[in-house]
Amino acid sequence: MSDKMSSKDLSKKITKEYMDEAFHAHDLGKMVGYTTAVSPVELFVAHDIIPIYPENHAVACLSGRMGTELSLATESMGYTSHLCAYARSDLGYRKTGKTATGGIPDPDLLLACNAQCFTLTKWFQVLARKGNVPMFVWDTPEYIKDKKAREEIIKYCVMQLREMIAWMEEVTKRKFDYDRLKEVMKYSAESSLLYKKFLDMAQYKPSPISIFDALIGMAIAVYRRGTQECVEYYQTLVDECQAKVDRGIGVLKNEKYRLYWENLPVWFKFSDHAKLLGSYGGVILTSLYVHAWSLEFDLDKDPLLAMAEQYASVFSNSTIEDRADMAVDLFKRYDMNGMIMFMNRSCKAVSFAVPSLRDILVKRTGIPALVFESDMGDPRFYSETQIRTRIEAYFETLDRLRL
Amino acid sequence: MWENLDFGQAIEYAADPYASIRAWKNETGKKVVGSTLADVPEEVIYAFDILPVTLLGTHKPLRKAPSLLPDNACSLARSNLELALTYENDLFDGFVLPQVCDTTQHMCDIWRINFPDTYVESILLPRQVDRQSARYWVKEETMRLISSLSQWTGKSITPDDLKRSVAIHNENKRLLSELYQIKRRHPETITNKQLFSLLKLSMQVDKKELNESLKKIRDGLKSHSDGRNHVPVVLTGITCDPLEIFDLFDEIELNVVADTLVTGSRNLQGIVDEDKSDLVEALMERHFRRGFFSPIHDDVFKNVEALKALYKEYSAKAVVYVHIEFCESEEYDVPDLKVAMKKEGIPFHMLVTEYQTLSLSHVRTRLHAFFESLRESGR
Repeated sequence: MSDKMSSKDLSKKITKEYMDEAFHAHDLGKMVGYTTAVSPVELFVAHDIIPIYPENHAVACLSGRMGTELSLATESMGYTSHLCAYARSDLGYRKTGKTATGGIPDPDLLLACNAQCFTLTKWFQVLARKGNVPMFVWDTPEYIKDKKAREEIIKYCVMQLREMIAWMEEVTKRKFDYDRLKEVMKYSAESSLLYKKFLDMAQYKPSPISIFDALIGMAIAVYRRGTQECVEYYQTLVDECQAKVDRGIGVLKNEKYRLYWENLPVWFKFSDHAKLLGSYGGVILTSLYVHAWSLEFDLDKDPLLAMAEQYASVFSNSTIEDRADMAVDLFKRYDMNGMIMFMNRSCKAVSFAVPSLRDILVKRTGIPALVFESDMGDPRFYSETQIRTRIEAYFETLDRLRL
Repeated sequence: MWENLDFGQAIEYAADPYASIRAWKNETGKKVVGSTLADVPEEVIYAFDILPVTLLGTHKPLRKAPSLLPDNACSLARSNLELALTYENDLFDGFVLPQVCDTTQHMCDIWRINFPDTYVESILLPRQVDRQSARYWVKEETMRLISSLSQWTGKSITPDDLKRSVAIHNENKRLLSELYQIKRRHPETITNKQLFSLLKLSMQVDKKELNESLKKIRDGLKSHSDGRNHVPVVLTGITCDPLEIFDLFDEIELNVVADTLVTGSRNLQGIVDEDKSDLVEALMERHFRRGFFSPIHDDVFKNVEALKALYKEYSAKAVVYVHIEFCESEEYDVPDLKVAMKKEGIPFHMLVTEYQTLSLSHVRTRLHAFFESLRESGR
């Protein structure tokens, strides 16, 4: 055990090797394919296309508080300040070259999946025009409740995955290897289950992880899905968390409030929020967002069908009522007693459902909700005093309810 | 109700058609179904003897919608919700709502939750139109809509019902195209306001009745000037609202000779092949004859190419782009569009509109300034 790398070191090693390979992709005879965080990336991996996620790079820049600077650069090109902060960060990076990391290589091809949002499609269209790069949109209609409609949606999605394979073969001039896909799917299924196990550690009291650990821990699931090292990473992470559980170590010694978070995080307020909430005995345990990669692929099925079923039914592509069911399931399993609903100006696809979702969740759980509006990446839309006051008032309400 | 309208009445109804729709509903006892933009196959709804009404917002104050959709949502989406919740809440028997962009991603859910006793159905048309699968999907969704309407109304439609409906809708599009062609050549015969009022009204009232008015209007047209005092322009965007904007166009003698508006020519491009034995197939094929719509993925240069072609074909002097504030989809397109227009040497003017808060005097000032400079430069 002592020779084994920690999850933190393993994450660094995996990320470095991955980015090194991406930057040298052409030397290695490979292509770089941009894709969206929730997408059938297994097809890229199986076809030896190196997947790059501009969203991840944007997260690094936004967490590094570069949001305003990069956004201003984007706005100087005629884009508005109310586009997705990821896109503003990315377009600003392309204009200025400024980055919190070593940047990302340019794409040879683009894959956008609208199960998470349509913004990515529009953002990638800008990149497609800029570099005259081929682009494929995997269109996932909303996963509505009707059983027959769902079957048809999946059929349409599978049909498109076949089209995507043909498109990749055309772009790369190489034949797709279905056996290799099965192997990739095996790794993807295994790592996704381990990732879910890691997230579910939050059900312990005290919880050994907060959402902030989950947000750091999810990175490898996003960009190394379908690889053996991804499986190794999550096995290590789960083992580490289990060791904490066994020793009764929690994020907070005196865990008073176990909170649900709706939406993506405010990336540049990551640690501030953890400290502020912690001072009230509050720990955010989870969100549907981090569970978006808790995929449960059925390996007995055709890989394309297994992928379509999982990606098309992700929370952001589900109805508000289904999304509420998913959240209520988390409330029950993690025994949560508070909820923070973030209206993220950047993310319209997720946020415009929040007022309706809040009403359903408050009604079904009996737990009051704190709602605040800001932007996940641009401090110009973050009002420190107002949000702090609301958080304080919310904990006072929760305290009163406990008496 | 709408079979004997002159231009004046058509403009009045187009500004607010709902009182007349309510009167029509009381008179006929028929159902009314509202839809938002875009591409809902209204022929299918009409075939069930239901009036399909495209909801195109309201400029009345927002009361309930802001608590359901924040202020950075497209103002058309917010005002449509307000229209249905507050101002016309007793008018609609049902809604068929498309999912086209991030604002409309969960729109059908929001409406379903807020209209628990009303028929609310989604239509999930493909958001890519560059592949074969999209054709399959349009057909599937059209058939799902037929099945859903059938279940709701308790009746089924025959191929003849659909054929009759298609014929009425096609006739409407042909008549409007005819009027557009007259206006294009003789702008003093039909004003911008008149034509675009007819286009809007056609998306909201019974086309069978309105077609009678369109024929009478066409037949009654007299003066045929050559429009040499007018500046020909191409209009682009999703919709141009309020219709008073066209008064400003008329005031400075612009002649909209072509457009790519979803509520304009893109709608007229939706003629269905009536001779096809499988009309669902024909409805599907029609879907792919329509032009660019920002939230639908297609060739990423399509809008630029379409505008260049129209500008050239109709010897236009400028492209006027009408933007709806917070339409995120178009906000990703506009910077590249501006650059492309500049590169082509095409004068480009952007009008920003917002339901509830638009200042027409501001639009007038900007329009005047742009076209004065265009005239001074001798273009």
